[in-house]
Amino acid sequence: MKLLHLKEGTIAVISKITGGNGMAARMAGLGLYEGKKVRIIQAAPFRGPLLVEDILTGTRTMIGRGIASHVEIRDEEAR
Amino acid sequence: MKKPGEELVIALAGQPNCGKSTIFNAVAGFKVNTGNFSGTTVSFTETKVLLEGRTIRLIDLPGTYSISTHDIAEKVARDYLLSGTVDVIINVLDSSILARSLELTLQLIEMDVPMVIALNMHDEAVKKGVEIDVDKLVSLTGVEAYPIVAVQGSGVQELFEAALRVAKGNVRHIKPVYDKDVEECIERIAKRYPDALRQTWKIDERFVILRLLEMDEEFEKMAGEADRAFLEYVAENRRFLAEMHGWPEAGVFASHRHAIVLDLFERVAVVRSRSKPSLGERIDRFIINPVGGLATITGLIFAMFYASFSIGDFISGLLEKPLEALGSKVLGLAGGTAGMLLAGFYDGFTAGVGIVLPYLVPLLILLSLLEDTGLLPRIAFMVDGLLHRFGLHGKSVVPIILGYGCNVPAIMAARNLEYERDRMITMLIVPFISCSARTVVIFALAGKYLGAGYTTLIYLGNIAVALAVSFVLSRFHVDVSPGIIMDVPPLRRPYLHIIFKKVWARMLEFLMFAWPVIALSSIVLAVLSQVGIDGIINWVLAPVTSGILDLPKELGITLFFGIFRKELTLIMLNSALNTLDVASVLSPEQILVLVVFTVLYIPCIATVSTLWKEGGWKVALYSMALNTTVAIAVSGVIAYLL
Ligand SMILES: Nc1nc2c(ncn2[C@@H]2O[C@H](COP(=O)(O)OP(=O)(O)O)[C@@H](O)[C@H]2O)c(=O)[nH]1
Ligand SMILES: [Mg+2]
Repeated sequence: MKLLHLKEGTIAVISKITGGNGMAARMAGLGLYEGKKVRIIQAAPFRGPLLVEDILTGTRTMIGRGIASHVEIRDEEAR
Repeated sequence: MKKPGEELVIALAGQPNCGKSTIFNAVAGFKVNTGNFSGTTVSFTETKVLLEGRTIRLIDLPGTYSISTHDIAEKVARDYLLSGTVDVIINVLDSSILARSLELTLQLIEMDVPMVIALNMHDEAVKKGVEIDVDKLVSLTGVEAYPIVAVQGSGVQELFEAALRVAKGNVRHIKPVYDKDVEECIERIAKRYPDALRQTWKIDERFVILRLLEMDEEFEKMAGEADRAFLEYVAENRRFLAEMHGWPEAGVFASHRHAIVLDLFERVAVVRSRSKPSLGERIDRFIINPVGGLATITGLIFAMFYASFSIGDFISGLLEKPLEALGSKVLGLAGGTAGMLLAGFYDGFTAGVGIVLPYLVPLLILLSLLEDTGLLPRIAFMVDGLLHRFGLHGKSVVPIILGYGCNVPAIMAARNLEYERDRMITMLIVPFISCSARTVVIFALAGKYLGAGYTTLIYLGNIAVALAVSFVLSRFHVDVSPGIIMDVPPLRRPYLHIIFKKVWARMLEFLMFAWPVIALSSIVLAVLSQVGIDGIINWVLAPVTSGILDLPKELGITLFFGIFRKELTLIMLNSALNTLDVASVLSPEQILVLVVFTVLYIPCIATVSTLWKEGGWKVALYSMALNTTVAIAVSGVIAYLL
């Protein structure tokens, strides 16, 4: 499944970031890389970005939907 | 090592938003310089501080998430740290998000430059339930660490004393040890480390190898130039590692580092779960929500509006009488040519205090509040989707909002956009945004003579024009941008003393640079009209002023001077029209056309030169042509319709 399709409030683990090297590196800088647990806090209106929380640190990052469609996730667990 | 008495260079390095500038400002001397890194447009701030009898050059570097990066500003920060000029690094960490902050710390440790760790935002860490065992962190990294709260200045003194101590001693960093197979890999590569590289590059060898394993573009380029075969050998080893772990080649080394960072984090910190969400979080939940967010943004726009409108008007009114009294005294002092010059100077002088400042200050306060509370990225989040329809980007929001203060820093802020296409469109849109100088014109003309309704309309129309221009521009840059990735720091309460400092600094900037220009230009105008040159300028511009815009041709000179500073248009209006009551000479329709034109055409020389610096002369010329065309078209249509 893709991060793009994760429901608000559900926790999942990032399993793979496809897309170019640069994209993975930029996300890694913000603490989002393979193995990280994340949660979608909110999707912005007008098909805007997703607000993603890194469960470990509580840091929040907005990620455009195009990019979120390149992030694969596994192990969703409802909360 | 530097001798006592020699200037010591201390650099603040850390991830964006960790509080570097707050530390910088807490200790900064009275003289703060902004410079550019050689050969780039990336700027840094530096100041001289006297500490224990030594002069220290303190440098506030651009924020970097990681040492290996694609971002221009981040690369520059790294190059500076590696240049050998820095004696001590103060690595600033946001301790409330320690796990993420440590990524950079680990890389800095590997760089082997003397350093100390500032565990900033200690107050937030405590609130969040993050407990850090500082002694353990020190013993595991070999780097001195100090918990501080930069906004309150607590712990800052000890931090700098430690930095001085570290500058004298030897570096005893404990470098992280990777998995056995990674270490073996490093060892193999180290055996083949080319002499050519060793001689030209005075950088720690292990650090270079690690960067090469991480596929850092710049390091690969340097190493490749020295020895192609070596670079190929590194790649071979990396592929071997990647296959062994079943990870993609690009990420295999970074994955190992992430693991080490998490391990270090778990050893030095415990996170106790919090009891209930803080006030800030509850407010944040409201703002992040589409309904709450859009309500907040609308509220902010109106707040900005009415703050400038009513407060500005109020202060301006208070100052009117005393300034007039002063004027009648001053103007009586001299006659003839001297009197004329004096009158010109007086006009410019009073315009600065009486008209510009009252409107400027409320706007500056609001902008500082937006910056310091963390509302800017939240606004970006809300409007990113909407802006995409117009070919823009959520990240363009920051330059656009800053543009309401002044277009110059706004254009510089466009650097944060990673993609050339987004950056270009944003740089061309910003000059359409009504900066504080133009806001002054709007309020003083439209606000005074046309009323609040028209003023609002002009503002909204201004946004509409900017979006329309962006839409058209984006049709010419068909390559799509990949979208936004942006940090959203927590909401923070603003600190009055910090807001005050910021507003004060920006106001001083106005008083020192803009005000003299205004006063001087007023004198020049007085002289010009005495000699009759204004008539020539008016004649040259007449086809536009009276031809298309249906304005008196006497306004040509004031519009011309607006290119220097937009306030000048307003200030010179009175003398050009020879009256204090603009409404007695211009019809309301003409005032509207004048304001719209002033808002849309070339912002000012400072903005154009910034565009030149940031994007080259083509962009600067393109922007001037674009603004002039749009201004003539829009205000021409209004003049025609009314
Ligand atoms: N609560 C708290 N906030 C801080 C502290 N230090 C800085 N801040 C705030 O954090 C934000 C970012 O600080 P800034 O110095 O601009 O970060 P920079 O990007 O590293 O230069 C500002 O709103 C500061 O007021 C601190 O110790 N505690
Ligand atoms: Mg800063």
